[in-house]
Amino acid sequence: MRLMVNGAEQEVDSGPLASLLHVLREELDITSPKAGCQQGGCGACTVLVDGKPQRSCLTPLASVEGAMITTVEGLGDAGELTAVQQAFYAKYGAQCGYCTSGMMLAATALIDATNGDGVTRQEIEEVMGGHLCRCTGYVKIIEAVEAASRGETFDLEELRRAGTAGGEETMILDTGGQS
Amino acid sequence: MKAVGARFPRYDGLLHVTGRTRYVDDFKVPGMLWCRTLRSSIDSGRITRLDTSRAEALDGVYAVLTHEDPDRNVVGHLEDLGVPPDMPLLAEDEVRHKGQLIAAVAAESEERAQQAVDMIEVDYEERQPFLDIRKAFDPDQPQVTPDGNVYFYDPYDHCRVRKGDVDWAFEQADVIVKGCYRPQAIEQAPIETQAALAIPEADGKMTVHSTTQAMYFSMGIVAKFLGVSLNQIKFVGGTVGGGFGGKVDTAVEPIAALLARKARRPVKYRSTREEEFLALWTRAPWHIEIADAVSRDGWILGRRTLTLHDAGAYTGFSAYGAMKHLHHSAGAYTIPNVFMNSYVVYTNHVPTSAMRGFGVTSVSFAVETHMNRIAGELGISPWELRLKNGNRIGDLTPTRVKLEDPSTVPTILACADAAGVELPSEYAQMTPGERSGELLPEHLEDQLGKADAWRNR
Repeated sequence: MRLMVNGAEQEVDSGPLASLLHVLREELDITSPKAGCQQGGCGACTVLVDGKPQRSCLTPLASVEGAMITTVEGLGDAGELTAVQQAFYAKYGAQCGYCTSGMMLAATALIDATNGDGVTRQEIEEVMGGHLCRCTGYVKIIEAVEAASRGETFDLEELRRAGTAGGEETMILDTGGQS
Repeated sequence: MKAVGARFPRYDGLLHVTGRTRYVDDFKVPGMLWCRTLRSSIDSGRITRLDTSRAEALDGVYAVLTHEDPDRNVVGHLEDLGVPPDMPLLAEDEVRHKGQLIAAVAAESEERAQQAVDMIEVDYEERQPFLDIRKAFDPDQPQVTPDGNVYFYDPYDHCRVRKGDVDWAFEQADVIVKGCYRPQAIEQAPIETQAALAIPEADGKMTVHSTTQAMYFSMGIVAKFLGVSLNQIKFVGGTVGGGFGGKVDTAVEPIAALLARKARRPVKYRSTREEEFLALWTRAPWHIEIADAVSRDGWILGRRTLTLHDAGAYTGFSAYGAMKHLHHSAGAYTIPNVFMNSYVVYTNHVPTSAMRGFGVTSVSFAVETHMNRIAGELGISPWELRLKNGNRIGDLTPTRVKLEDPSTVPTILACADAAGVELPSEYAQMTPGERSGELLPEHLEDQLGKADAWRNR
């Protein structure tokens, strides 16, 4: 069976009833979709099928023959992150990271479908509603999606510098006048 | 200081948003087998027959694990602290809770492992389960362990804190305020279920990729089940996909390691969501009773408490959790006369364990709800009641720790501020400084003295 995954055509051997999650993770080594519950309850396995979010754990392979599948690996890599990835990074939308892939793909589909125009907090909450996170309490995630829907971008170099730099350090250590 | 107050990006944030973080389930090695488990379908009973022969004969099955396989099948999580081990890794002649592990299979795929599990035959002689901790002291109830339904804290059947003269406090009281609080079991439910990948190495050592929150602790536990010294095991941790206390239990690592040793192949055990909810340890249900001796003007003169902690079927970490709970039973308040007991009660529920403030969140819920109840019964402001009785420098806790820097007063003032509550100036300007004047009533003048009076009676 043939699939388009992140822009590349893939020939897969799994049977027609194998879950798309299993095919991605075990056959194609694409591991960003997670097996959180394998019964459609948590959203951690969400991928985009022809641009629409879908639970890959409940998706039989036969139903996506010829479809375009997008996972987080098909968004942007470090250095060329999409607005959604930037916002999740800069606004602390990811904590342990296990639900993050599904969250980001649901957000990506919402923003792609609307161009971000007039996306309300309520719409974000509805779209993200089926995605469980046990770390954040959701506020940071929703704020990240809001930022991305407004088209906010972040200077990641600046962010990284904030994490490492801090100007001249005042030393307590007596170095005997030597600097 | 350049770090405090600064905003830092998450150190692993870029890996998360690019899907590159590698969790245990994302590791795969050549020849890797998958594990599935057989767990008890009943709450309590004797195992009268266990036959794994059909499962062992199935194509693609490399190992079937039962109680005969571990070097030691009964290892206590706190045995090095003197808590007697009682829980078998794999059930032998009885099961004490639904979901208790009986057997595990390693096979070429998860599907094949599950087929083999379904072919294992087990017969039970069911017993009446004991499920209500409030009946812990009723001898007519089913007994969960051969030693009864209550853990024995040498030299008592409970953990206790005594300070001051609680009888005096209750004689003096204008009002006795009573309350009963019952926080329920909660599954930690991280989105990543517990998983382990065990790899037997050519030199006889065992590498274990683990989702544990407690590396060295889990390593020690696995070493005991395998009967090997620590230098025969290499533990690989990493990013945990949420834990919240549920990943200190070392539930999957021993099974993966024992199967890997038996099959001589790498084995991955990724617990299912059903196993997480049904069989892996949860936050405990508690039954907490508080009775306070209170004066009309809002002083808590004394407190009696009784706590029942539902340990589930085995001791696990409960002896520690219920003790920590007890030591926090006065909350952030100074109560000079206390008589506090906590009991660890066995039931036929799944064993209970840590979750976000092990033992303490339950008692904080009870104590803070009780504070509001006291304020309601006295008709005074709950803010003022808390500030008045709040810990101050020089106060003694129930366990006789002299407080040097208690944060109760500033914390409550910050809460009032955040909630937009206006306090009278004598409260709004309160500091945690040592008690004097109005804030040093007679019953707090000598916080140790009454203890001697109590002891000498």
